[in-house]
Amino acid sequence: MIIISKIELEGTDNLKYTDIGYTTDINVANEINEDYDSTLGKFLGENRTKLTLGEVSISTFFSGVDSVNEARIEVENVDGLGISEITNINQL
Amino acid sequence: MATPTKGNVTNLNQTPGANNKTQNHTHNTGSNGLIIAQFTMSNARTYTGCTYGGVAMTQLYQISRGGLSQRMAFFYLENPPTGNNQLRVNFNGSQFNPISMHIRSFTNSGGVGASSRTGGQSTPNTQSLTVEDDSLIMITSCSINAITSQQIPTGTNRTYTQHNTNRQVATGAISADAGHSAGSISLRSSSTFGTITLDRTEIKGLSSSVDTSGGDFFAMF
Repeated sequence: MIIISKIELEGTDNLKYTDIGYTTDINVANEINEDYDSTLGKFLGENRTKLTLGEVSISTFFSGVDSVNEARIEVENVDGLGISEITNINQL
Repeated sequence: MATPTKGNVTNLNQTPGANNKTQNHTHNTGSNGLIIAQFTMSNARTYTGCTYGGVAMTQLYQISRGGLSQRMAFFYLENPPTGNNQLRVNFNGSQFNPISMHIRSFTNSGGVGASSRTGGQSTPNTQSLTVEDDSLIMITSCSINAITSQQIPTGTNRTYTQHNTNRQVATGAISADAGHSAGSISLRSSSTFGTITLDRTEIKGLSSSVDTSGGDFFAMF
């Protein structure tokens, strides 16, 4: 099973991850991750050094975006996590 | 002796974007519990501690792989709280590079035993680890190039998860359930080409509390 995380800005410089669902469909996970890779993932990739040095703030990315989803946590069961299965990306 | 019982696994490959990363993980019910966590990330930051369910985990090692610009670490906790709890690893500053996290639970474990680490060597990287009877072995590797196998023992491919931390990371490879006989076990990691690291750690079995090797008997007539 793959957990789907919602990523938001926390404070001014931190990312906040919240588990919002899970999927057993690799196509759903791939679709989510393709969107991540072309948005927040791209921003992080282009600005890693400047973000680390404090020359760029992660808040820059979130100035026009509320949140981004990512599906890169693999677990064997979701007991106790309190999340529901996502079978279609439109459910998010 | 008895081999440790493998429990739940959580694998994660995300960018913390903060001076810590948290992840929920459900530790299995059972006696002689053990939870371990393997991490790999850019060596621009160091690991400053790790907790599970708010309890401090013990750092077995933390090593910078300068040639790969990565830092790899292993933390563990014996008899951790059971059920769903949060694992939190802290850094000495915000980490904006991806981290590879592998969290695995055990029950019926005698804890963490022998451990050795070998930096990048030309593929295949073949090393050994001397373990006690009925132990399991976990290995992890890092390379610039795609990792093609993790063998425990050498010649036996084990499943693993491949993560991207701007380098290639193989994490989660572990011995078959039957464990090993006491002695030196050959281990091998391979990549498509170039160099690859090989870190290995023993997960000990449980010493038998009941001596079943012999006993006193009285003939009854």
